[in-house]
Amino acid sequence: MSEIVIDKVSKIFGDGGAKPFVAIDGVDLRVEDREFISVVGPSGCGKTTLMRMVAGLETVSRGEIRVAGKPVTGPGPDRAVVFQQFALFPWKTVRENIVFGMRSRGASREERDEAVTYYLRLMKMEGTADKYPHQLSGGMQQRVAIARSYATDPGVLLMDEPFGALDAQTRTIMQEELVRVSKGNPRTVMFITHSVEEAVYLADRVVVMGRNPGHIREVIDVASTRQAERWSEEPIDDVMEKPSFTHLRGQVWRLLREQMGADV
Amino acid sequence: MMPTVAGAVPAKRNAWRPRVRRSVVTGVATIVALLVAWWLSTSVLGLVGPARFPSPEAFVAALQRIWTQGYAGGTLIEHVVQSVRLVFVGFLTAVAVGVPLGFLMGYDRRIEAFVNPVFLVLRPIPPLAWIPLAIVWFSLGDASKVFVIFVSAFVPSVINTYTGVRNVRKHLIEAALVHGASRGRVIREVYLPDASPMIFTGLRLSLQASWTTLVAAELVGAFLGLGRALQTAYRDVNTPMILVAMVAIAISGALTTILLARLEKRVIRWRAEA
Repeated sequence: MSEIVIDKVSKIFGDGGAKPFVAIDGVDLRVEDREFISVVGPSGCGKTTLMRMVAGLETVSRGEIRVAGKPVTGPGPDRAVVFQQFALFPWKTVRENIVFGMRSRGASREERDEAVTYYLRLMKMEGTADKYPHQLSGGMQQRVAIARSYATDPGVLLMDEPFGALDAQTRTIMQEELVRVSKGNPRTVMFITHSVEEAVYLADRVVVMGRNPGHIREVIDVASTRQAERWSEEPIDDVMEKPSFTHLRGQVWRLLREQMGADV
Repeated sequence: MMPTVAGAVPAKRNAWRPRVRRSVVTGVATIVALLVAWWLSTSVLGLVGPARFPSPEAFVAALQRIWTQGYAGGTLIEHVVQSVRLVFVGFLTAVAVGVPLGFLMGYDRRIEAFVNPVFLVLRPIPPLAWIPLAIVWFSLGDASKVFVIFVSAFVPSVINTYTGVRNVRKHLIEAALVHGASRGRVIREVYLPDASPMIFTGLRLSLQASWTTLVAAELVGAFLGLGRALQTAYRDVNTPMILVAMVAIAISGALTTILLARLEKRVIRWRAEA
């Protein structure tokens, strides 16, 4: 059971210094085991900082974060991260990149070979195992990064705008692929994004954040609608034309608009 | 580093062969043209006097002499072996100490704080300024040469390794950590490879510095070596021999540099540019 509990968490940069900056103020959030949540919010709302604190890459100033009941004290393979800039190791082949996290937990050679075959087929990338990242397109590189994180077999997957650096078409394809991949390999996912469509399309719940200082504005349920209308069985373009989708998207949009209005 | 599009690499590799062949042809042509110009201006037209610059014939005669009879205490091979040996010993010692030290300085700020002041004091001293002290300490034998080579080769190895480690990409370190890598694995599989281009830059500069200081040290005083041959030829006002020694230094230096470049290419074969 890999639930994430964010318990009255604040992040203050330069805490105790002359000019402390409150990036996140008293955030409470519970992400259930195998739930997919996406986090949207205007830039500067601290959504990436929140994710990095769950990853253990950033310390928590106040409050506590627990994953599977254990307080987070640093990075670990139970919370693999997919980064916006892919962060593949350029000196490692696709195969070596995919098994990087598996080696941390001492997976056998057969296990690793099996995983490489499995994930390359899943990502529709057969025949690229011995290529280096620079020989692949951006979309392919991000597939490898996603495979690397899945192969690590974490309870929690953290994704920091993973499709932000991709062009529009590749992005759409990747969104569909992610739905397909996560259906077969359900994990607890925290997905940070700028895109409202992406957030609504992928997540069970959308967390809308506000800024000055960063806080949770509202949490919108998508899962009930998705399940009722069987979104995951239809192509992304069809889903995005459904009235239920546009309704939810509008709801998230208005919350974000209020944010920006409040700023001016 | 921008990712390149799939397919760019094979295309590049195909273009590689003819381009190299063309550059080799151009290079050979340039050298032949220079040799002909040399021969014309000295032997044929006499534009340059033999005391200032030797003719090709005089050069070959000097080469024959040092090759068979020897000159300044040894044959050409003996001089070359002596110099290359000292460069290797001094260079390798400097690298063996300098790279780990630079690595530690880049990796751990406490070590950096500790070592940096020493560096700030020692770094402005030109390596050649160490020669007199080296001779006082170690006399004119091999040890004094190895010492000055060490001093000159040490600094670029340390500084570049340090810079390389300091500039290891943070998101790659984070990617390793969130996928469960231990500290040792992060060092071996992220720090080392990501810093390796800079480390090799340091090695290249160290090797160049090694040759410069070796020749200078041998000029000041030595029993054998290319610098010694150069010094003797200068005292004898033997311009053909001066040229022979210079050419021998150039070739030896170039060969060791090529060796290092080969090694670099092997180690960093994953690079997009390679």
